[in-house]
Amino acid sequence: MIAAILRAQFLSMRWGRGKGSIWRFLPLTIWYLFWLASSVFAFVLAREADLASLRRDLPIGFLGVTVYWQFMPMLSASMGMGLDLRKLRIYPAVHRELFLVEVLLCFTTAVEMLLVIAGGVAGLLANQEAGGWAAAPRILVPALLLILFNALLASGTRSLLGRLLARRKIREVVILVTTCLWMLPRILVQYRIHPKWLGPVEQALRGPKFPWSAAAAAALGDFTPFLTLALWLLAALWFGRSQFERNLRYDAVAAQAMVVRKDASRRRGVGEAFFAFPRLLWRDPLAAIVEKELRSLVRTPRFRMVFVMGFTFGILVWLPVVLGGNGARTGGSGYFLVFVCIYALTMLGQVTYWNCFGFDRSATLFYFAAPQPISQVLIGKNIAAMVFVYLDVTILSAVVGTFHLTAGWGQVAETLMVVGICAVYLLGLGNMASVNYPRPLNPENVSRGGSSGRSQGLLLLFYPVALMPVFLAYLARWALKSELAFLAVLAIAAVIGCVVYWIGLDSAVIAARAKREQLFLALTQGEGPIASE
Amino acid sequence: MPEPAIVARDLRKGYGLKLAVDGLNLEVPRGSFFGFLGPNGAGKSTTIRMLTGLIPQDSGSIEILGYQLPQQELEIKRRIGLVPDESFLFDRLTGLEFLEFAGRMYGLPRATAVDRAHGLMHLFELADDGKIIGEYSKGMRKRVAMAAALIHHPDLFLMDEPFEGVDAVGARLMKDILLDQVRRGATIFLTSHVLEVVERLCDRVAIIDHGKIVMCGSMEELRAGGESLEDAFVRIVGADRQMERLDWL
Repeated sequence: MIAAILRAQFLSMRWGRGKGSIWRFLPLTIWYLFWLASSVFAFVLAREADLASLRRDLPIGFLGVTVYWQFMPMLSASMGMGLDLRKLRIYPAVHRELFLVEVLLCFTTAVEMLLVIAGGVAGLLANQEAGGWAAAPRILVPALLLILFNALLASGTRSLLGRLLARRKIREVVILVTTCLWMLPRILVQYRIHPKWLGPVEQALRGPKFPWSAAAAAALGDFTPFLTLALWLLAALWFGRSQFERNLRYDAVAAQAMVVRKDASRRRGVGEAFFAFPRLLWRDPLAAIVEKELRSLVRTPRFRMVFVMGFTFGILVWLPVVLGGNGARTGGSGYFLVFVCIYALTMLGQVTYWNCFGFDRSATLFYFAAPQPISQVLIGKNIAAMVFVYLDVTILSAVVGTFHLTAGWGQVAETLMVVGICAVYLLGLGNMASVNYPRPLNPENVSRGGSSGRSQGLLLLFYPVALMPVFLAYLARWALKSELAFLAVLAIAAVIGCVVYWIGLDSAVIAARAKREQLFLALTQGEGPIASE
Repeated sequence: MPEPAIVARDLRKGYGLKLAVDGLNLEVPRGSFFGFLGPNGAGKSTTIRMLTGLIPQDSGSIEILGYQLPQQELEIKRRIGLVPDESFLFDRLTGLEFLEFAGRMYGLPRATAVDRAHGLMHLFELADDGKIIGEYSKGMRKRVAMAAALIHHPDLFLMDEPFEGVDAVGARLMKDILLDQVRRGATIFLTSHVLEVVERLCDRVAIIDHGKIVMCGSMEELRAGGESLEDAFVRIVGADRQMERLDWL
């Protein structure tokens, strides 16, 4: 059964290989080089530390590993690989075997942590105070048990989240709460906030009752924590298995079904005002395309998720950086609004302009069957993307203004200009990427990546190019201490941006005509029994 | 005599070494209900896609309603109603919203598009209950697709398996609507594997096999020997053979 699943997956994936693979590996290589360096760092720390330091810091290190393993997949909106149970449910598969595959696939979400643990364990083996190579079984076994515990817990969490996130409304709240929980420790440290409850919590986390501290104590020579670790392992096994079984019986379609409300017409009336505005500004078919795009995106869970993250995550990530260690403003606080707005612009790119036909999937065919040039469709989609970008910017401006983090309306106006100019470049490049590297997106799946592997590789190149003109404008302001210089460079950047946009649009239209068959094919492709998220 | 609705000359389309359509010649008279038949993989969907300009032909010429493809592509698209084999519906719109959108894309004023969308929803017995198309059943999706093909009152309909997945009531409704369209002078070009449907609706038929037209004529000509359409079809595409049996089956 396992062999059959893996073979089917391999056969499904062979069509995905090709020219795009190099581009997919570029960002991955950079990412894993970083974690390899972290692994070396963990090795050095573990090798050089004395026993007292190890007893103090190793539980915290293992806690960090556990937190990253469990939370990072949610925050990066990438849950790794997992079985697509909708496709496998019909077969008389032994659930135990399916669960085993699911747990093994959980390792794909945390290769980084495996690297760090490997580095740390190698450091312990090289550290004579920790026992050295003579204590290899004592060091290795707890580390392996902690890895297994994390894999089982991640499997259960993934199943649970899969069901929770399938429910309308709940998914946004879940991700928002998770984001806030993830950021809470950082904010506490950054602001040097020490609430009374933090001390006991910190002590408890270091205490022997938790799997990370039990694993650390066992690795350093205590034997009683093995029992604690085994109990946690059993609990994680029960959690993972029971959640997996519930997923097997889960009816996602029923959970996603929209309840027809009695007051639906009134609710629609409120939304209609928003959807109607394109009609006031443009003629059909452009107005119809923008309107369709607004309606569709608002109802797409994956888009809504990214939209919400655009203004929440941005603030949570950048606020501590800008405010500095003691909560006072740093030199960067004057650019805070610009930072978070450009961050929101890049976040939204994954679900809008980098792969603008992704959510339409096979329905993209309609655009080619309808009697209007494809350039109108791309422009319409770009306008809709910009509506949401500026909605994020408006919300961010309001939040930032509330906390008095802007220098007033002038800075808001500057942000609007800067975001607009960056967007012009990104939209021009995005149109080309959308047509050349399309990828179907599941609108219900809030955790799947937006653009294709090749396109993601190109982003490494595109973002610096797109943001460079604005960076030069700020550089001119700083170097010449002149607002005029800043505005002049911005104006030049805007003009060049318009040229880039029209060239991008033009070449996208040419590519769309020439490659329409590949476009349809790419947007209707299915997947194998293992879904990569 | 009016010019034909569709004229295809020496049409070819290949995918790698395989020729999906191999020198196809076809003429569909205006006002006819034309059945385009063929076994799986014969080239039916590829032909429809070429006729609508969705994919370019490798060689050959296409003339639709007197307009040349691809030179007058937009003129052609304005005059045809398409029901493709795969879904081209936007899942996150309601049925009503999609029909209005389709109408506006075909150049109808918004008020007219809204009005017609309501009328078509009623005609196709689709409820405006705020449900998005992603939650529709396959039959309902087909009804919406056909309604969208009708909204701009086209002169030519190109339909790829329009009755697939539709229940008997829905299929009857759709057939009645299509027959009405032919009566008013529209041309319908349809593919279907349900030969009883083709036999009952179509007045002319073409059979494609291995990318070539192997038979084209009126329904009467096809059934000249007193055969049913199914018998004639099986005979023409050479599938009239003894079924092999497997020992274990």
